[in-house]
Amino acid sequence: MDEQNIQIFIDGVKNYFLQQTGVAAEVGTPYLSDAQARVAYEYTGIIGISGSSRGCVYYTAPGALLRDVLLRIGESDVTPANQSDLAGEVANTIAGNARREFGKDFMISVPVVVSGGAERISLPPDLRAMVVPILWRKHAAALVVALAGTS
Amino acid sequence: MRFFGLGKYRVIVLTVAMFLVFDLGVLVLNFVISSQIAADALAVNMAGRQRMLSQRAAKTLWQISERAAAGQPAGGETAELAEAVSLFDETLTAFLQGGSIRGGAGTTVTLARIDDADGIAILQRANAVWAPYRARITTLLANPAPSVDEVRSTLDVAHSANLELLKLMNELTSQVEVTAAAKATTLRAVQIGGITLATANFVLILFHFLRKLRQGDALLEQAKKETDDILVTVNEGLFLLGRDFRIGSQHSQALEAILGRKDLGGADFVDLLRGIVTEKTVGMSRDYLDLLFGERVNEKLVSSLNPLDVVEVHFDDQRGGFVTKYLEFRFNRVREGGVVAHLLVTANDVTKRVQLERALKEAHERAKGQMDLLVEVLQVEPDALRDFLAAAALCLDKVNTLLRERTASATDRREAVIAIYRLLHGLKGDASGVGLSGLAEAIHDVEDLVVALREKHASLDGNDFLPLAVRLERLFAQVDALRGVVNRFAQIRGVVAVEPARPATETDAAQAPLVVRWREFATRLAEKHGKHVQFHYHGIDPGKLASPYREALPTVINQFIRNAVVHGVEAPAQRLIQGKPAVGNLALYLAARDDGGVDLSFRDDGAGLQLAAIRQAAIDRGLLSAAEADACDARRLVELIFKPAFSTRASADEDGGRGVGLDVIRAHVNEWGGNIRIGSTPREYCHFRISLPRPSPQLSAGAAPAHGEAA
Repeated sequence: MDEQNIQIFIDGVKNYFLQQTGVAAEVGTPYLSDAQARVAYEYTGIIGISGSSRGCVYYTAPGALLRDVLLRIGESDVTPANQSDLAGEVANTIAGNARREFGKDFMISVPVVVSGGAERISLPPDLRAMVVPILWRKHAAALVVALAGTS
Repeated sequence: MRFFGLGKYRVIVLTVAMFLVFDLGVLVLNFVISSQIAADALAVNMAGRQRMLSQRAAKTLWQISERAAAGQPAGGETAELAEAVSLFDETLTAFLQGGSIRGGAGTTVTLARIDDADGIAILQRANAVWAPYRARITTLLANPAPSVDEVRSTLDVAHSANLELLKLMNELTSQVEVTAAAKATTLRAVQIGGITLATANFVLILFHFLRKLRQGDALLEQAKKETDDILVTVNEGLFLLGRDFRIGSQHSQALEAILGRKDLGGADFVDLLRGIVTEKTVGMSRDYLDLLFGERVNEKLVSSLNPLDVVEVHFDDQRGGFVTKYLEFRFNRVREGGVVAHLLVTANDVTKRVQLERALKEAHERAKGQMDLLVEVLQVEPDALRDFLAAAALCLDKVNTLLRERTASATDRREAVIAIYRLLHGLKGDASGVGLSGLAEAIHDVEDLVVALREKHASLDGNDFLPLAVRLERLFAQVDALRGVVNRFAQIRGVVAVEPARPATETDAAQAPLVVRWREFATRLAEKHGKHVQFHYHGIDPGKLASPYREALPTVINQFIRNAVVHGVEAPAQRLIQGKPAVGNLALYLAARDDGGVDLSFRDDGAGLQLAAIRQAAIDRGLLSAAEADACDARRLVELIFKPAFSTRASADEDGGRGVGLDVIRAHVNEWGGNIRIGSTPREYCHFRISLPRPSPQLSAGAAPAHGEAA
């Protein structure tokens, strides 16, 4: 896990909020979490990464944040289904950004959205994940990067 | 293929040809005989006409006779008689010799000669009767005005010939009919025979080929079953790949499990790869397949270029992750007519093998990497090392907690940076103290990052901490690795220990593990700085102190040792000039009071506190203005050495100079509710005395100190 790679994911999220809502997202202080202390809000968009580094990256956000984003971008349908789709869209943007930046040595999966608790998110058990708090209009969300280099 | 290249179809072609020959023969015979029947029908008709003509001639002759008797000239009867005689005569001649005659309605028909003996006999008899009869009529007709007698005499001839001719013509008719009937019978026989043969031939074809077809189907079915059995049973993924890179219609069942999908028949192999390997590998694979389908390159020579020889594949697990496997694809050309028509592809799931190989390789590399650690670890007292590593993990957890919880505002982040710095500095000192120089260097590098954060003038935002968080993860990994080595070492030691356990004895406190460690640390540090020191210890076994002092005091003492060796004790030459022994003395005293509290005394006979240097450092670091520094009394100046980031050293290295150390001690003492006193005489000594109360239950329970750090 190196900061350049993580920064690409962070930039992916920041770009998404700036371009879609016109309001920049603020990056909090990153810290580490292990598999026993996963960070998860109501909706989580996950992408799997393999190749030179492997693991997963996910964006997790509370419904309130996603609802506000939907309203901000002019979407009147703020149902849970649409909030879930939005979490997937953010993950998809991260994936697209990563595909562009990482090149052909990486494989990035189709995003999957899970809702509910952290137990539904599977992380490598022996890996400390980097948790990057992402604040948008006082709503707390997080980008979690759990990557290990290949041998 | 032999016999005109018909091969296995030779028999069926022959049989069908026979069928056609039979049919054609029947058709030709049918045609010939039916032609003959038509001719016979004509003959029957003409024979019937002869009967009529003979009667007409007789009747007309009688009419002429009646007219002559009545004295009347003959009318149209003469012409009618001539016509009847002429037709009878030419028809009779045609029956005998064959030829064309006048038919009905002015047409000309061809009459075949009658060949059978009975017919010829009848005709000859008829001709014998007809010839004189015809001669008399011809004579009569030649006379335009015959007499009555002449007519009557001719009529008399007619009377005698007419009935004979009628009878003979009746026989002729019957004879011709019999001949025609015989031919019709023959025709039916021929038709029945031909159709029977053709039917027999058809039945032969039917049975022969049904049997052949059944045999062929059975063979095909057996072959298919064998192929299916192979494809179902074989563990490898087998399939043929076409020039269009599509998988053939048949493949082994194992292939579906290997590639993790069904409906593989006709699927594009390159598209299939696209979802499970990197784009780079997809491109290389396509090039390699092109190479194999090309005729120019040797198959064996290019096999080493196979990008799918052992390839890592990733299947989307539909949960935002991947299932990783290792597959092996082998390609062999299949030629048809000398041209590469297909590639036979063998796919194997070699995940277990590769994982085992990798695990062995990793274990080997880890063992190599751990050798250095092991050498380092072997030089450290195991219990002390274990204590240190547990404390190190705790310390890193505290750093992580600070990152997670103490970073809400820019001010919080600044304070967190300072606290993190103290923690890492203490940890670095302890790492050096136990002799883990590699880890100490790594922590020192992380300190550089923290220094950069601390000295950043602009507001700190969360993103600024990313490199620190990344390196924190690496420190965790290093500590984990060390713990792994220690655990393994402990296991090995447990297994191979042959030395019987010594009976428990009262350990001399001066030889207690912690004391030994401090002594070694002091000696090593002094050597590093070109100095000589002797470490003296008096008091209780530090390992018997109550928690949390037992865990945390080593950090405090490490800082005292580092501070004394780096800042206090002079170089040997300097000491000799000052009339001191070349070897500096560090004295530590540790006592447990009756009230449960602890007294600690640390003294060195070095340069003592150098107030001038402290004053200058305070000015340099902006803590005091020059005027304030000049006005500052000794007590206030001494207070400054407990300030964060205060150091009198010009440059920082692994052992000091960043001004962190005494503030760590002060933070601990404050937290525990103790007090610290300092005594110092320039060029003589520096003496720290710490008095700690009985630990509170919260501290004993291991509550995280606000500014603390682990031992």
